[in-house]
Amino acid sequence: MKFLTDLILKMGTVDRRWIFLVIALVVIIPLFFPLGLPIRATATTQYVYDTIDALPHGSKVLVSCEYGPSTKPEIHPMVLSVMRHLFKNKHKVYVTCLWPDGQFLASDALNLVARDEYGLTYGEDYVLLGFRPGNEAVVKGIVSDLRKLYTIDAKGTKITEIPMMEGVNRFEDFDFLFSASAGYPGTIEWVQYAVDPTNVPMSTGTTSIQVNDVMPYVSAGQIQGILAGMPGAAEYEALIGVPGIGTSGMDAQSIAHLVIVLFIVLGNIGYFIERNRSKKY
Amino acid sequence: MFGEIFGAWVAVFLTFAIFSFLYKDNPFYKIAEHIFVGVSAGYWTSMFFWTQIQPNLFGRLWPSTHYSDGIWYGVYDLFGIFSSSIFPEGGIDKGHELHLSYLIPFALGIMMLLSLFKKLNWFARWGIAYTVGMAAGLRAYGFLNSNVILQIKGTIIPLLDPDLPFFSLLGDSHFNNLVILVGTVTGLLYFFFSKEQTGNFGKVTRVGIYFLMISFGASFGFAVMGRISLLIGRFTDLITYNDASYHHATIWVLVIMVAILGYSTFTDKGNSETDVS
Amino acid sequence: MLWKRQIPILIVAVIGSITLFGWFINEPNIKSFVDDDATQWFDILASFAIFLGGFNLLKMQLQKIFRRQRGWQYSIFAIAGFFLAIIAGFFYKGNPDVAWGTHVTADGTLFKWIFTYMFAPLQATMFALLAFFVASASYRAFRIRNFEATLLLVAGIIIMIGRVPLGSFISSWFILYLLVLIGGITVNSVFKNKQYTAIFVIVGIIVVTAAGSSLGWPLDQPGILYLPYLQEWIYKYPNVAGARSIMMGIGMGIFATSIRYILGIEKSYIGE
Repeated sequence: MKFLTDLILKMGTVDRRWIFLVIALVVIIPLFFPLGLPIRATATTQYVYDTIDALPHGSKVLVSCEYGPSTKPEIHPMVLSVMRHLFKNKHKVYVTCLWPDGQFLASDALNLVARDEYGLTYGEDYVLLGFRPGNEAVVKGIVSDLRKLYTIDAKGTKITEIPMMEGVNRFEDFDFLFSASAGYPGTIEWVQYAVDPTNVPMSTGTTSIQVNDVMPYVSAGQIQGILAGMPGAAEYEALIGVPGIGTSGMDAQSIAHLVIVLFIVLGNIGYFIERNRSKKY
Repeated sequence: MFGEIFGAWVAVFLTFAIFSFLYKDNPFYKIAEHIFVGVSAGYWTSMFFWTQIQPNLFGRLWPSTHYSDGIWYGVYDLFGIFSSSIFPEGGIDKGHELHLSYLIPFALGIMMLLSLFKKLNWFARWGIAYTVGMAAGLRAYGFLNSNVILQIKGTIIPLLDPDLPFFSLLGDSHFNNLVILVGTVTGLLYFFFSKEQTGNFGKVTRVGIYFLMISFGASFGFAVMGRISLLIGRFTDLITYNDASYHHATIWVLVIMVAILGYSTFTDKGNSETDVS
Repeated sequence: MLWKRQIPILIVAVIGSITLFGWFINEPNIKSFVDDDATQWFDILASFAIFLGGFNLLKMQLQKIFRRQRGWQYSIFAIAGFFLAIIAGFFYKGNPDVAWGTHVTADGTLFKWIFTYMFAPLQATMFALLAFFVASASYRAFRIRNFEATLLLVAGIIIMIGRVPLGSFISSWFILYLLVLIGGITVNSVFKNKQYTAIFVIVGIIVVTAAGSSLGWPLDQPGILYLPYLQEWIYKYPNVAGARSIMMGIGMGIFATSIRYILGIEKSYIGE
């Protein structure tokens, strides 16, 4: 017993670079040797899916991409899945970006899904309006007069020359908003300046860190469901039946979480052993 | 194709350079960090200029629809001699009309840039004041409406609805609605610091603290989840770049970097290079 | 003093008031200014602020080189990176078929190359580093010192395990056995009697085993101890309650601070 307690105490003083190595290994190994753990959709993910599925065919959907390379692993898979769902149901997709990096990533997503997978036509089935700086002022601008904010799209084409922009002048002309958000500006700004004043329905996908900031809006009914980080993206991929990056990362995510929990438990066991010993002496 | 392969090697090098910080602070990390700072600043500058300043500011001051031989467009043509990409011939065609009122934000913007000089430091205050004023006006309404009033509305939920069960783990129920009401009210009461938190009031605020701790614990769990997801993303890219089409960039860069860092650690015995731990 | 103090305060008061009351006024000229032009001016000034940041960075890095300050050699890389991005942004497109302006978003340009192979990996890796530090901090610093810390830890663990696919494989009965073990430790620390502890643990194990056997060991029953269901309940109810109270507190604070800015009481933007 003493050997065990001494060992636990010794492990508590280990150089943290060994911990880094363990974390690196538990993430890499499942990527090479996947376990294929089944994914079950949570209620909030199911709610997003049901809301989008219930939209009448041909609805005008605004997808706002506010994420960058740093949060691509969490948000990009959900953007791809949502776009697949939207194009499968033949909706018209309009893409804006509140982050500059979001424009490149949105363009990549549209090229992959709309152009390559579905063979859709730019300007008739989907359009990339692009990035505009100004944070919440951009959201407000979209609400009041989209055409003053966006006179050209991301490719430099005038808005007046894009067929699917006909009849779209302000935020209320859209039937639904999906915000793929990694922080500020993002979901919260859309709720405050666009959705609450106009009652256009909205769903969102956020990074795991932002989930708790957004959950009160979901609970209050201001947002219809939320895709929470990479697990949320994996759940949506499972719902639409097209596994992607989100799904492939779940095995590594599961094992890493288990290892971190074990670290916490081990650390606390060591803490209690040390505390009892110091009380004793 | 060469651009892609070269790019992959650059990406892998920069990735491992940043990761090398986990071993210890070293020149690879410092180089990558400084490159990141420089490239980010240049990237943002270019992006903001071409998506906002050129089309929306210059495009409203010198729109092609009002091009003429007057003094105003004479100034434009002069700028065009220096940069025909920013000021193309015949005016800027972005679908705008002429709005000379946009000279105001242009002037405020130039004042912001002139504040780089110490004596003109205060120039930036006018532009900053405009953004602060506008942000204050927007947020006062936005936060009050969405974060306070509508949240209060969301908290006032049925406690005696005969259609709801008393307890349900996954759906709405009386117990769950009571948890939300009690948790929100006691949590808010905890933040009321004008009254000493003792006696019965202290007991109520203690309940509030428990709800806040559960929320913080959930936030911690989500934070860990988010960070691991980002790490998975990086490793996925590194595995992609290890492919034969990229000439196994990952493994080569890793081996070379480990060899150099290992050698430097071996020869660096007496040196007090800053150590991470 | 007028130019440096009073005028900025006046600008904040006027613009703030117009923006705030613009939500409630239906006068077309004011509405048009608030909703359209004021927004555009804000966007333009936000862009100039970014330029200011970029030039400030350049100034500081150049100063570091000229003054030969510690680590000045690395500043050369910062400046080289800055000019590389500026060249790609303003001087060399790399793809002659793309027009100036759209070259910052189009494929095949030097700017896109820099984004894909330099900016994106650097930014992503900087953030990915945090995963290691979170794990290390969890192991070395996360301690159950009191009841509140225990609540935080337990909620965090339930969310972490319950939200990933692995959580679905952990049976409720495993959790029950774990609770019996934790109960035994608690009994031991309260009564300090090995006999009581042994009786508690043995009886607990027998009861759980009997219940499990009679029900056929269903994975997700009892539901309250099945991690995915438990995490869902925590996530939707007590967690939302806590998060909502924080949100409302912050919301009221921001409203109050915004009014203070508009009334000129708060003057931190001019350094007071």
